[in-house]
Amino acid sequence: MVMKSAVDDDDAGWGLGIPEKMRNNANWVDITHEFKGACKELNLGELLHDKLFGLFEAMSAIEMMDPKMDAGMIGNQVNRKVLNFEQAIKEGAIKVKDLSLPELIGIIDTSFCCLITWLEGHSLAQTVFTCLYVHNPDLIEEPALKAFALGILKVCDIAREKVNKAAVFEEEDFQAMTYGFKMANNVSDLRVTGMLKDVEDELQRKVKSTRSRQGEQRNPEMEQEHQQYLALFNRIKFTRLLLTALITFTKKETSSVGEAQKLVVQAADLLSAMNSSIQHGIQSQNDTTKGDHPIMMGFEPLVNQRLLPPTFPRYAKIIKREDMVAYFSKLIERIKTVCDVINTTNLHGILDFFCEFSEQSPCVLSRSLLQTTFLIDNKKVFGTHLMQDMIKDALRYFVSPPVLSYKCCLFNNHQAKDYSDSFVTHCSRPFCSLIQIHGHNRARQRDKLGHILEEFATLQDEAEKVDAALHSLLMKLEPQRQHLACLGTWILYHNLRIMIQYLLSGFELELYSMHEYYYIYWYLSEFLYAWLMSTLSRADSSQMAEERITEEQVKGRSSKKTKKKKKVRPLSKEITMSQAYQNMCAGMYKTMVALDMDGKVRKPQFELDSEQVRYEHRFAPFNSVVTPPPVHYIQFKEMSDLRKYNPPPGSADLYMAASKHFQQAKLILENVPCPDPEVNRILKVAKPNIVVTKLLAGGHKKDTKVLPEFDFSAHKYFPVVKII
Amino acid sequence: MATMIEENGPSTHEHSHASPSSQARQKLEGLLNKNMKIRMTDGRTLVGLFLCTDRDCNVILGSAQEFLKSTDTFSQGEPRVLGLAMIPGHHVVSIEVEADSLEDTHGFGPNH
Repeated sequence: MVMKSAVDDDDAGWGLGIPEKMRNNANWVDITHEFKGACKELNLGELLHDKLFGLFEAMSAIEMMDPKMDAGMIGNQVNRKVLNFEQAIKEGAIKVKDLSLPELIGIIDTSFCCLITWLEGHSLAQTVFTCLYVHNPDLIEEPALKAFALGILKVCDIAREKVNKAAVFEEEDFQAMTYGFKMANNVSDLRVTGMLKDVEDELQRKVKSTRSRQGEQRNPEMEQEHQQYLALFNRIKFTRLLLTALITFTKKETSSVGEAQKLVVQAADLLSAMNSSIQHGIQSQNDTTKGDHPIMMGFEPLVNQRLLPPTFPRYAKIIKREDMVAYFSKLIERIKTVCDVINTTNLHGILDFFCEFSEQSPCVLSRSLLQTTFLIDNKKVFGTHLMQDMIKDALRYFVSPPVLSYKCCLFNNHQAKDYSDSFVTHCSRPFCSLIQIHGHNRARQRDKLGHILEEFATLQDEAEKVDAALHSLLMKLEPQRQHLACLGTWILYHNLRIMIQYLLSGFELELYSMHEYYYIYWYLSEFLYAWLMSTLSRADSSQMAEERITEEQVKGRSSKKTKKKKKVRPLSKEITMSQAYQNMCAGMYKTMVALDMDGKVRKPQFELDSEQVRYEHRFAPFNSVVTPPPVHYIQFKEMSDLRKYNPPPGSADLYMAASKHFQQAKLILENVPCPDPEVNRILKVAKPNIVVTKLLAGGHKKDTKVLPEFDFSAHKYFPVVKII
Repeated sequence: MATMIEENGPSTHEHSHASPSSQARQKLEGLLNKNMKIRMTDGRTLVGLFLCTDRDCNVILGSAQEFLKSTDTFSQGEPRVLGLAMIPGHHVVSIEVEADSLEDTHGFGPNH
């Protein structure tokens, strides 16, 4: 409907020179004067509008000429022509052949910076595609630059494909839009790596031929040329290795992950040489007198301005070259870590791996690579194991349920097999989702963990039913054995882990106010960790019962005495850690209650809400869980009421009790056989808190009005309490 | 016609054609939902449906398309789709409408 008449006049009309046509078009009548005059007759504040259009609709209009809303005005205000690639070549503003070495190095480094900025969540149009060369590599005559341009396009394309496939990003992580740019799809991956390799070999010859020879008089220009060739060589090689590594990740075989790891290690070896040669590249011509962007040959930050969507303009600040190498080395470190996942075979181990990896807040590319390495296209774990088998193994490892034991009559019983198989199949999707959740960014993870509890509640229900059915079957076949709460215990364990993680991540994300700490820590110590420990010990005893039966069967068959050696219980480490966490939480809970008694916790004026409203909001996702049942606010108030003790403890007693909890946590952690970094991190909080709470118990600074500080720098979930 | 103005400001209910303000309103209302071409102070031209205006000549265009200035011979190309756009009155340089849309509107155009 828009401009219908003009289109009728000239079908090809909307190409070049439209404003010219529009001016000549007799259909348009100027009414500026009359219009403005008529407007003046309107009252102040009066809107003249159609019935179907009101103030509400008017609110959503973008305001032209407002730099915060109008992306189009930026491109229009610079005092230079914004040229696209073809135009720039025609104008001679850009070289496509005979580029000098410093020019090539500068262009490549700037492109790397653009690539990184894109990976950090900006749009392709404002980052990689501000480089005119990648718009159409076919027009480039310089072989090194052409190969590089194709290489960087392929890197973008594969990275985009990986991120899309893994689906662990949100709009704040990644912009997948390509704005219709061609991502070198007409050239095969192999051809591009081949081209890069050819350029690399050619450069290597140059590097060798310019190398200083013995007894040769060396002039500084020769030496500089040698250095520049070397710098370019390293950059091309880095591009090739990065691209090859990404291509390798797309292969289906598990062995390819190891191969990719080798390639990124090789790429990492080039980084220090790249860092020391950054100054060889040309710098952007910083013509800031006109308030303009710094201009670099081959780059036009505004070339895609008109492709941006009509939302408020986002400004992509391209990272500095000095930070480029540091980013790449961290990226490669992360990719190396990702490759290690294939060495973990147990589902619980894999889940822990994902949790630990996520704790470093990794970039979207490494997170996506981890996801796609874990579950390959054929829906198999690492491309080889069925998820169902992984779940069965995890169950055997955790509770040794008789139904999955080769030595049990249920193992070959059809009905029992049907029950367990269907349960395991139903587990498969929620567990895949759980692993996928750990690929999201930290803030989104919390949200999604709250939602997945619903799915686990359904599984819990099924697990209990299957347990009961299997138990009654087993009682008929082998009356001396039991199948009570085996599968249920395992699901409950995961339920509790998710709930605990949900609450703890609130500290990391700084969601809680100081006056909320006490009930969060109470819920953790008195409830969730208590449940977790009883769940773990039930699993442990279930394991032992199964082992005893196995031993007896072995003994019965052979008279040989099996050596009684004290085995380390598989779950012992986790039980120990849970005890430590529980003590830390209990210590924090009691400290917070005591601080409150002393008037050292600032509370909001509960006018429009109440503590109950906040409490219920904090634990709302737990309402979908049946076991453990949610603790409602009234129950919490009753359970935590200090008046049930005689005499009710004062703040000094509570500080003392808190100190003992921290002391207990310290004792437990110091006895952990081979302490991991997490153990040391908790110790760093426990030790000072023992001292602080002891001092507080002794009445130290009791009258100070200054509020205590909570320092979460040593540990994400437990603060060091500081009294100033 | 007066009903639509009611909610946003005081309006004169008597339809006296002599009153200049009610004449002006009728003129403007006749243009509603017509194609309009507005040139802005920075040289860009927006084409869209006229939806709303006020005393300061702030104009809202619907389904607006943005065309770059005609002097810039290089960046002309496809128009950019903006959707709903408000042009502040002080940035309006010129306003044009299609001649056919003036047929049923009195008081505008060259025939006046």
